[in-house]
Amino acid sequence: MGVKALSGVKVLDLTHYIAGPYCSKLLADFGADVIKIEQPGGDPTRNMAPFYHDEKHIENSLLFFYLNTSKQGITLDLKSSEGKGIFRELVMKSDVVIENFSPRVMPSLGLDFDSLKEIHPSLIMVSISNFGQTGPYRDYKATDIVEYALGGLMYIFGGYDREPLKHAYNQAQFKAGTNAASATLIALYHGRKTNQGQHIDLSIQESVASALRDVTSNFTYTGAVRRRQPNHSGDLTRLRAVSDGYILPNPGMSAGLDWNKVVEFLESPSLDDDKFRTGTARLENAEELGSILDKLFSSKTKTDMFYAAHQKRFIYGVIDSPAEVLANPQNQYRNRFVEMDHSLGGQITFPGAPFKMSSTPWDGLTPPPLLGQHNKSVLSEMLGYTEDRLKELISDGVI
Amino acid sequence: MSSPLEGLRIVEMGQLIAIPAAMKMLADMGAQVIRLESCRRLESYRTDSLFQNDVTGDFWNRGANFYEQNRNKLGITLDLNHPTGLALLRELISVSDIFAENFTPRVIKNFQLEYDDLRQLNPDIIMVSSTGYGFDGPWANFGATGPATEGASGLAYSTGYKNGPPVMSEIPYTDYTGAEHTIFAIMTALMHRQATGIGQFVDVSQTETSTATIPEFLMDYTVNNRVISRNGNRDPNISPQGCYPCKGDDRWIVISIFNDEEWEALCKELNSPELTSDPRFSNVEGRFKYHDEINVLIAEVTTQWDNQELMEVLQTSGIPAGAVLDGQELLFNKHLQTRNFYEIVPHHPTTGMPPLPYASRPWKFSETPQITPKSAPIMGEHNKSVFVDLLGYKESALSKWESEGIIGYGPTTPVGVRRPSLEEQVRQGRLQRFEPDFINQVSKFHRVNE
Repeated sequence: MGVKALSGVKVLDLTHYIAGPYCSKLLADFGADVIKIEQPGGDPTRNMAPFYHDEKHIENSLLFFYLNTSKQGITLDLKSSEGKGIFRELVMKSDVVIENFSPRVMPSLGLDFDSLKEIHPSLIMVSISNFGQTGPYRDYKATDIVEYALGGLMYIFGGYDREPLKHAYNQAQFKAGTNAASATLIALYHGRKTNQGQHIDLSIQESVASALRDVTSNFTYTGAVRRRQPNHSGDLTRLRAVSDGYILPNPGMSAGLDWNKVVEFLESPSLDDDKFRTGTARLENAEELGSILDKLFSSKTKTDMFYAAHQKRFIYGVIDSPAEVLANPQNQYRNRFVEMDHSLGGQITFPGAPFKMSSTPWDGLTPPPLLGQHNKSVLSEMLGYTEDRLKELISDGVI
Repeated sequence: MSSPLEGLRIVEMGQLIAIPAAMKMLADMGAQVIRLESCRRLESYRTDSLFQNDVTGDFWNRGANFYEQNRNKLGITLDLNHPTGLALLRELISVSDIFAENFTPRVIKNFQLEYDDLRQLNPDIIMVSSTGYGFDGPWANFGATGPATEGASGLAYSTGYKNGPPVMSEIPYTDYTGAEHTIFAIMTALMHRQATGIGQFVDVSQTETSTATIPEFLMDYTVNNRVISRNGNRDPNISPQGCYPCKGDDRWIVISIFNDEEWEALCKELNSPELTSDPRFSNVEGRFKYHDEINVLIAEVTTQWDNQELMEVLQTSGIPAGAVLDGQELLFNKHLQTRNFYEIVPHHPTTGMPPLPYASRPWKFSETPQITPKSAPIMGEHNKSVFVDLLGYKESALSKWESEGIIGYGPTTPVGVRRPSLEEQVRQGRLQRFEPDFINQVSKFHRVNE
C-alpha cells in the first residue's frame, strides 16, 4: 500500500450543508489536501441532528462528523477585505475551488470564476447549487424534498392513492455531491494535461433528473405519464412481511416465470393449481393468491428465506435495520464500517470506503476539524503569516 | 479544444443501469466507450418500453431504456462462449484504458476476466466491477436488483409513511447511486494512473455506495442506540415539511420551512388566519410538536391552488416550495428547458425514430466543448469500425465470424415485450394518463430547442 490515489490534489473548500461537503469528503478521504473554509459562525450542519449522545453542540453533529473527515478547517470572513485577500492567496496555491453558495453570493463577493481565473488561469472552480447558475429557478430556495419534487423522482414514489413520498435523509444532496466530485476530477484530469481551467455548474435538481431511467422517455416513446404504482396483493414481487421483518421476493421474472419452480420453492401445495399457473390466471385470482402468499410468508424468517432463494438463483432482497446492517456477514467480511475517536471522547462507528481500490489505500482518515482548528497552521505554514499578524486577524474578527 | 476525456478508451461489458449509466456519462465527456453485447443473451432493456409500443421488425433497436443508458457509445456484439469471441474481447482490452463490467464474480471468473488475468494483457489497465454486494465475501455471487440493494443498505428500512411498511423507489434507484460513485471511482483511479502510470482494480458494491449516503442511519444507532422510525416526508431538522394536495387530479406541492422568517412568509402568502394567529405555531419547537395540525391547515389552502402557480408565489417570497412534477411536466419544464437540460439526440435511420430529447448531465463545463450527441448503437452497429478499423482485421473475417455466430446484428431468439394497451394501463392505475398527440408535443419541443 502506497500513497493515496488523489495525493497532491489541492482543494479549497467553501462548502457547507451536505452536497458540497460530501463532494470534498470523497476527495479528501481518497487523499486530496482539502482546506475547508467556514464562515466565522461555522457550517450550519454543525447544528443538525443527530448529535453525539443527543447533546446539541457545534462539535457534536454526527452528520457534520461524517461529511468532514480528512479535511483541515479554517474560519474566514469573506465579506472583509482582509478575508478576501487571504482567500485569494489560498486560491493561488490550490488546484480546485468548490463552493455551494446560492448563485448570487460569489459574484457579490467579487470572487466569481472570471475574477479568480485572472489570478489563477488553470483554476478548476466547481459551483454546486439547487437549480444551477442560470435559468428562471436560479434563485429558488430548496431543501431535499423540493429537489425530489422538481427533479421528477417524487411523483412516481409512494402509494398509489397516498401523497407522493421521498426517501428518508438527504439523498438528492448526496447524489449532487457525488456528481460534483466526479465532475471535479474530470476537469482536473483534463487540466493536468492541458493547463485548461474551467468552471463547473452543477445542479442538484439535474442530479435527480438525470437518474430517472425512463420517466421522460415513457412520454417521448408512447405518450404515457407514469404514476405511483398500485400494489396488488397478488403481485409476485410485492414486498412481504415475514415473521421477523420484510423481504423482497423476486422469482426470476426476467428469464420468464416457471410457476412450478415457484411452487417448489415456496413449498405450498395450495399454489399448485391452474388458477395460478399463468399470468392471466394469477391476475384473475389475485386476491386469493395474495392471501395465500401473505400467510405463507408470515411463517418464514427473513435470512433463511433469502439464502434459500439465492441457492436457486432467485434474486430475493432483504430489508435490514441498523443492527442488521451492522451485523450483516457481507459487511463484516468487507469491513464496511470503521471506527474513529471522537474529539469529545468515545468512539464513532461510521460507513467506511464507498468502494475498494486494489493499489491505493483509503484508510488513515483524520477527524473533522473543530471550528477554526487549523487557522494558525494553515496561515503560518501555507502563507507564512507571523504570530503577530494572526493575532491582529483574530482581534479584527477576520478568522 | 478537446473534450475532457478525449483519447480514453473504455471496454464496457455492462447490463441494465449500474455500469451502462456510468459509462454513458464518461462517453458524454469524450471517452470512447465500446459497449459489448451478446446476440444470444439479449439485454432486457432492448426488449421493453419500445417506441410506440411496436414489437414488430427490429424492435430491439427501439427500446427506451437501452437508449437512455447508452448514448454516445460504440456497439459491438460478441459471443464470449466461443473461444474466438473471448479472444477478441481480450485483444480489445489489451488496447484499452479501462474495462468496466457489472456481472456477478462467478461469470467474470468463468471467462477468466478478473483483474489478475487482464493485467497480463495490459499491465496498466483499470478494471471496475460493479455488483449488488461486492466482488468478494459470502454474498459476492448473489444477484441483486435495485430494490434489493436499497433494502440491504438500510435506505428502504428508513423510508415509508408513518406506521407503514418500508417503501422503495419505483426505479432502480441504487443502481444510479452505484453508477454515480463508479464515475468518481474511475476518475480517482485515472488521476492516480496519470500521476504514477499504475492501474488497479476497483470493486464497487451498489449496497455499499448506498450505505455511504445515509450516515445518520447507522451513526444514530451506534452512538445513540436510536433506530429510525419511518416518518413519511418529515425531516428531523425541518418543520413543517410535507407534500400537500393541489387543484386537479393527483396534483401536489411540497413545502419545507427551515426557520421563523420562512414560516412568517408562508403564513402571509397562504393568507390563513388560523396559521398566523395560533401561538402554538410561533416557534420551531411548537411547529415540530403540532406538525399534524399545521398540515391540515396548510392543505386547506393548497387544495385551492394550481401547484405550479402556488410554487411561484411562495418562491417569490423566499419560501422553499416545489410542484411535484410528473414525467411530462419535467420534460417540458421551463427552467430545465432554459438550461438545455434535455438534449435532442438523432436515431439511426433504420429505426424510423425521430430525434428525441433525453436527460443530459447534472453538470455544465464552461470551457471544454460538449460533443454532438449520438444515440446508443443499434445492435452490432460498430462491429466493422471496431474489429476492422481499430483492431485491423479484414472485412472477410467479419462475415466468417457472422456465419459462425460469433458476431451478429440482432438477437438469435427475438422476443419483444408487448405491454398492455395504454388505456388498459390507465385503467390498472399504472399510468396517470397518456396523451395521443405526444409526437407532436415532443417535436414542437424539439423545434423550440432549435
